[in-house]
Amino acid sequence: MALLGKIALYTAGTFVVAGAILCSEGFVHVDVRETRPETHHIFVVAPAMLVPICLHFVPAEKLQDASQRLRPWMPAIRAATESLEEQSDMTIVEVSEPGQHVAVKKEGWSIVVDVMDSGDVVHVSVPVRAIAGTLEEISSSQPEGQS
Amino acid sequence: MKLTTRALVTAFAASALLAPFSMPVHAAPADRYLHVRVEDGTDGSDVNVNIPLSMAEKIPPAIHNGQLSEGRVAISGKDLNDVDIQTILKAIHDAPDNEFVSIKQADQDVRVLKSNGNILVKIRDSRGKEADKVDVTIPLSVADALFSTYHQNQLDVAAALRALDQAGQTLAITVEEASQHVRVWVDEKNSQ
Repeated sequence: MALLGKIALYTAGTFVVAGAILCSEGFVHVDVRETRPETHHIFVVAPAMLVPICLHFVPAEKLQDASQRLRPWMPAIRAATESLEEQSDMTIVEVSEPGQHVAVKKEGWSIVVDVMDSGDVVHVSVPVRAIAGTLEEISSSQPEGQS
Repeated sequence: MKLTTRALVTAFAASALLAPFSMPVHAAPADRYLHVRVEDGTDGSDVNVNIPLSMAEKIPPAIHNGQLSEGRVAISGKDLNDVDIQTILKAIHDAPDNEFVSIKQADQDVRVLKSNGNILVKIRDSRGKEADKVDVTIPLSVADALFSTYHQNQLDVAAALRALDQAGQTLAITVEEASQHVRVWVDEKNSQ
């Protein structure tokens, strides 16, 4: 009985630690509300750390083109994301047209993109660190046998 | 006496420990932001961009692609018809505040001035249906930094951004056309 208790405790502890690590980089929020032609509502919240982890399972060949295009820009992307993390909350880009509004903001540790188009609303929030990690993962992706 | 000595030692130790916290803290210089605003009256669109200068400074030196490397843009001497910009800038530096260029035509007026360490360019054009207006104010320090590597056929964008960060709220570009208004400026607000 005591042994079962210990196993249960270790298992629960492992799950708690794994969950804490997985959530340590924040969450990706995606909220899409469509009103045309039918009403749809998609709401996804996922740990940001899952994105670069999932990229590990994408065949390197599929990422090769993106990787090659991205690689020369990585130093600039690193500089931008590192600097962005230090900035206070702000609206970086805002575009308004009659019936349309797009805003890219820095809120907390995340980059938030809000799009409103004739009643349709898209809200995406991604931690800056997750963006950097994902792009690092893509840029370092190489098919086996290539160095 | 022993108690007094102990009290003094304790007070001295406490003041030594607390000294770093009681020293006046110099506030970090406020970050400056480069703002761009484009308003188009024809379709009612409005574009606002706000970029922290501290961030903008770090990006060009990290780009090594095409003509941009180490924060410098490669240019051909022919791009400016072999004009010695640095000599012109030095002459402007040495000159007192003045109007250097003034071209007045029936429907166009161009003026270039130096005022309070800034270069001002003012263009008024009434050739179209409505008058176009361009006003540019650039700190001389920014122009100096931008053209500091001109003899190496390079424009130092990174140095210009650093100079802009230190120049205060002086940069301003305003373009007013019949239906479109463009404004570029620097200030300490992170929103427009």
